[in-house]
Amino acid sequence: MAESLLEIVGLGKSFGGLHVTNNVSFQLNQHEIVGLIGPNGAGKTTLLRLIMGILKPSFGSIRFKGKNISGLKTWDIVNLGIACTFQNMRPFRRLPIIANVMVSCMCPRAMKRGEWVKRIEAKAMDALEFAGISDMALEKASTLSQGDLKRLEIARAIGTEPELLLLDEPFGGLSPLETDLMAKSIKRLHKGGRFGRLHSEGPSMIIVEHKLQQLMKIADRILALSFGTLIADGKPDEVVQNPHVIEAYFGEGGI
Amino acid sequence: MGFIWFYIRKMFTLFKCEVLVLPSRVALLVFVVALLLVPVFTQDPYLLWVLILTAIFSIFAASWDLLSGFTGQVNFGHALFFGVAAYTSGLINVYAKVPNFLSIPLAAIAGVLTGLIVGIPCLRLRGTYLALTTLAFPIILTGLIFALPEITGGELGISGLDRLSSSRVYDYYITIVLMLVLTTVMWKITDSNTGILLHAIREDELAVRAGGINTTRYKLLAFCLSGFFAGIAGGLYAHIMRTVGPSTLEVALSFQVIIWSVFGGIVSIYGPVAGVFILFPLAEFLRILPRARMLVFAVLVLLTLIYMPEGLIPWIRNKIEKECPRCKVRSIATRKNCRICAASLD
Repeated sequence: MAESLLEIVGLGKSFGGLHVTNNVSFQLNQHEIVGLIGPNGAGKTTLLRLIMGILKPSFGSIRFKGKNISGLKTWDIVNLGIACTFQNMRPFRRLPIIANVMVSCMCPRAMKRGEWVKRIEAKAMDALEFAGISDMALEKASTLSQGDLKRLEIARAIGTEPELLLLDEPFGGLSPLETDLMAKSIKRLHKGGRFGRLHSEGPSMIIVEHKLQQLMKIADRILALSFGTLIADGKPDEVVQNPHVIEAYFGEGGI
Repeated sequence: MGFIWFYIRKMFTLFKCEVLVLPSRVALLVFVVALLLVPVFTQDPYLLWVLILTAIFSIFAASWDLLSGFTGQVNFGHALFFGVAAYTSGLINVYAKVPNFLSIPLAAIAGVLTGLIVGIPCLRLRGTYLALTTLAFPIILTGLIFALPEITGGELGISGLDRLSSSRVYDYYITIVLMLVLTTVMWKITDSNTGILLHAIREDELAVRAGGINTTRYKLLAFCLSGFFAGIAGGLYAHIMRTVGPSTLEVALSFQVIIWSVFGGIVSIYGPVAGVFILFPLAEFLRILPRARMLVFAVLVLLTLIYMPEGLIPWIRNKIEKECPRCKVRSIATRKNCRICAASLD
């Protein structure tokens, strides 16, 4: 059994009387890809935001590599080795694409780990090359298409050389061809290695996604959320057969 | 001797290939040389006086651009930094007899501290709320100044400061050289990696945080840097005018700096500087038409903002220069091909 990387115990978040996330507990092992599914409004994005420290949990604790990270600032959590992408992409539209990535390459964690090349631009360029948009490095980010913005988000996330990557709908709004390419990129990133000057040990991942077919191909384990509660946790095939999950997606009676 | 000629030739080639190829760089060169040569041709005290004030206000406007244009922390009370620095240098010069070459740096330090004091409560605010909060600070300080007339001189202010130097021409050279150096420093800051972070904070702060950057630190840094440069401008102003009054804290001055910057073109340090160099002398020389003065001024600014929403200088720059679609290097607009990569510019 591998050492657990992320451990979430009894995590909850409520906005007033609305319990968005309710007593969620799970563990994430090293080098594992976990898919997080659930109907709209199930609290998937909220869960990621709680891990990132963008929202503060109302109760429960989050431990990353044995250290309690609930209540820390977002940048401290990123510097411990967690990175995320956003569901609705948030590029710096008026900056060139390379400058978008340079921002995350300038965080203390990335600056410390660039052992033999300190040039930020070179590192950012390698992140872009991995994501496959290095040919557009000098264009403004506002000129990118939907799929390329998703790639930019991933380039920005791996710029911090994370150990745990939280992807929020990486396939959302992509064509089938783009989805395949993106799934391949994610698999390659998970394998790890050196991408130019960027070193990746193969981050563990939590992927929030609605395209279950694609997700089942790359995920080792799937968690299903419904109304903020964890209703299933197991191998992809088992989870999609689970009656609770089917009920959550299609309503009572199901198919 | 040979190597001296080698370097002279090298410098000349660099000058020819890097400066003379772009009209904007030539214009900058002509502007700097002309500013430095003004006292050689005329020593008219009124003209030098106007140019000295223009130089001081252009440092001030550029410091506003650093904070509000680049970092997006819209400051409607920028006169606070100016006024605090002016009062600091006035008080320590008149009461403690600190000479002016020390009182101006101390005024700049006061500007930095003011930046911290304003910055910390403003960290959580953004947009309109930030603008309104910053607007309140100079008004509060004006109230304090009126409440303590025995120290601050109340409405009359402090007078009898040392002159900046012994003659008007020296004053002129000190302010102009400081202006050139400080605006270059500001431009270099915005051109560096820190500048990219400040840009990114303006675009989307949450995304910068998710990139692992401590945005609080960088926002405070922007406030302090802006306070530093505005502080130097305030200290210079106090010693040039030789009197400091509540007018340095006026809301009108805060808005004046925004008008100058927006007219010249924000998010480019040279834009506000050019804006001040056009609008301030214009407003000054329009005094010959006392009735139509503000009308002409307002119509000019309005027309510029309607037809050139980016500001005057970026608009002119886009007319005389074209950006290469491939390598993003600028070339003069008359060229058909990029001067670096020979891609077609049409």
